[in-house]
Amino acid sequence: QITCNLPHKDCASNNCVPSELFAARSRSHKIPVRGQKDFFPNDSDEQRQRLEQSLNEHWSLTSEERVERLGNLVKAVWIPSDQIVELQSPAGKFWQTMGFSANGKQYLLPEEALYLMECGNVQVFYRDLPLSIQDGYERFLSSATVTLQQYQVFGHLKRLGYVVHRFDPSSEPSSYARQLNLPQSRDRAGRQLKRKRSPSPTYTKRLNSFCFFCSYTEAQVESTIEKMEEDKCSLEGDDAKKLAASPDIQTATTSGADEGRSWWMTDDLGASDKELHHSPTSGSSRWDFSSIPFPDVGSSERHPSCLAPPEPSLLPGDLTVGVCDIASWRRKINLRMVKMSSKEQKREKDTRRRRWDVNKDREVRRCRNWAEYHELLARRQRKRKGRPAHLWNREVTPLHDPKQPISTGELLDKISVIKSTHLLEGASRLKGSEQWRICFNVYQPDTVADFKKSNPGKPYSRMCVCSFDGPVPDLRAIKLLAFQSGDIPVVFAVVDHGDISFYTFKDFQLPTDVFP
Amino acid sequence: MEDSPSMDDHQDSSLVVGVGLCDSAPLLWRLQDLKTARRLGLVGALLGSLPRTPRQNQRLGRPLLLLPEEEQLLRDEEAAGALPGPNQDVGGAELRRQFEEDQQRSFEEQSVLALEDRKSALRRAMTSSHTGSESGAEAVDEALCGRLEALDHSFSFPQSAMAVQLSTARAGLSYCPEARAHLQASWPIREQNNPRSDARYQVFRDLRGRGFYLTSAGKFGGDFLVYPGDPLRFHAHFIAVCLTLDESICLLDVLAVARLGSNVKKTVLLCSPVPDGGVCYTSLQWSGMV
Repeated sequence: QITCNLPHKDCASNNCVPSELFAARSRSHKIPVRGQKDFFPNDSDEQRQRLEQSLNEHWSLTSEERVERLGNLVKAVWIPSDQIVELQSPAGKFWQTMGFSANGKQYLLPEEALYLMECGNVQVFYRDLPLSIQDGYERFLSSATVTLQQYQVFGHLKRLGYVVHRFDPSSEPSSYARQLNLPQSRDRAGRQLKRKRSPSPTYTKRLNSFCFFCSYTEAQVESTIEKMEEDKCSLEGDDAKKLAASPDIQTATTSGADEGRSWWMTDDLGASDKELHHSPTSGSSRWDFSSIPFPDVGSSERHPSCLAPPEPSLLPGDLTVGVCDIASWRRKINLRMVKMSSKEQKREKDTRRRRWDVNKDREVRRCRNWAEYHELLARRQRKRKGRPAHLWNREVTPLHDPKQPISTGELLDKISVIKSTHLLEGASRLKGSEQWRICFNVYQPDTVADFKKSNPGKPYSRMCVCSFDGPVPDLRAIKLLAFQSGDIPVVFAVVDHGDISFYTFKDFQLPTDVFP
Repeated sequence: MEDSPSMDDHQDSSLVVGVGLCDSAPLLWRLQDLKTARRLGLVGALLGSLPRTPRQNQRLGRPLLLLPEEEQLLRDEEAAGALPGPNQDVGGAELRRQFEEDQQRSFEEQSVLALEDRKSALRRAMTSSHTGSESGAEAVDEALCGRLEALDHSFSFPQSAMAVQLSTARAGLSYCPEARAHLQASWPIREQNNPRSDARYQVFRDLRGRGFYLTSAGKFGGDFLVYPGDPLRFHAHFIAVCLTLDESICLLDVLAVARLGSNVKKTVLLCSPVPDGGVCYTSLQWSGMV
């Protein structure tokens, strides 16, 4: 095919001569496929040849100029005072997803016009001369319109087929309007309309509950409904987002238990202090366990039902131990669980009850008078009801009264150290930032056929353009952008010279194994 | 480094690369500038749609974006000059007149070409359908002449059929031949003066001087991707991370970048400029516990 590169006369300007322009009609539209790369350069001819071939192919493609049939080009003019491009011949297919009408004329935003110039669909004039792509880049892109980095993202997405529109935060419906399922309209007339519309069921219920409490002005209702919506979110969220703070609890309890154990140990040591003085060097002495007989109580051999007392030298201090009657213990080992029938169980219960005699109760026998007996009864009562005195009669009481019914989920919540939160909490209070803002709404390619500019519907995602040179978005930035975006995910398009990487933060609920 | 002279050099023997600023980014627009830069081992990144197939992202076209280090290198080699800005030769009745003349001339030439094209198509169609028969040859010739004459009278080439070029680079200079002087190698200093960008530039210069090709490596968690040869033909061997000598780096960051490197099968290079003007390189290799 004939390409428009190296025309001998106009090399410096890369202009094609008419014969080349004419011949460009039959130019191929295929791009050569890139071959396999080599790993290590050697000085072989083969490699040199392949390099030359790759470079030639590269220059051939890069040098080609856009050549279009005049009849296929839409004519337009650049209006720098408004930073807008006005169409002067009817728009083509692109009008379905790009551009806007005003004052009976058709307009394109600068980034849209530049993209269409690059596609060879539109020829933009300024002062009766056609603008080159370079002119377009240098005139149309700035921080006042769309920056070069933002245009890179715009172009990348458009080339993939997405519909990309500028994001306007003020035209986003408030959460109140969304709740009422209103069509998007920004004028005051639109707001008045909502009274005539039949409100959604949730709205009616809430309004009714509100009217029950007090009378609110409309503005107050709106702000309270917003707050309720937030609360509703948090309530719904709580059910799903109850964090099992079990790792924290476990450490708390183990550390507590440790402390308890050591407390006992110190007390124990204190109690047996006097024994320590008398004990031989038992701490560091070595015991010859082979010579110390340990009775095997569980063996089936016939043993005397009494154990002889151990050697006094093995015992600490003043301790004296008599003979040990192990008959009752031996009866308890090697037993098999007997399943009693219900009749047998009942009989057991009856005999137990008949056998029970209050006078045989040791604690009762220790009571010296009726007052002490009543105290004992009261103490037992309290213990039975789960409120032992030593826990409840002090300043610091347990977190929850066992007598009060509580669901496991709520209980976990009570004892949790870290409360779960959701991304939008506190986000409405954040003020906007210069550095982080949403640039574009992105709509999916397969919606193009039915796409209506007047009613685009919900975007697929919203883009925030940044670069690897800049900072990573902090929590504040993420909250701010998520709030601005509503329920549409925010995607960060990170530009690194020719390359764009897309990142998004997805909401994630830690699983809980508790049914509320 | 390849150093094969090409035809373009005759036109612009000063080898000054014309750089245009767009939103304060340095861009190359003209093909000869891209070639010059490549010859100096500067790869850059293409940003624009490819004219042949604009609706894809695999291969992009001009303009070429330069890394700040590439821009600085060109300036230091006195090989960068500013392209005339957008408002330089705008307006002017002279230019408009020239443009209209060019368009008219192009239209006339294309009309002629179109007619010729039609005629040869006709000839091909008529002769191919009557090949073989000796007797019919004369009759065919007569008919052909008749048809060709008719075509001369009736043929019209509509304006809408004319092919026009949508120039990539601004063609301003061509309209004023006397102004088509060589670009002055007077590119201003634009780099920021901070230790980090200094370190990056020192490392870039050193590696380029050793014959490596470098591109940006933000996606790989580093400063540069280092290729042993032209990136068109070779894979990158290293991910270069530039640090100043007195900068402390957290061990977790070293682990992260080492892990990343092993995942993409590239060696991580920690690069630091040393006071004597050279650069000290440390490569990270992931080894198992022995």
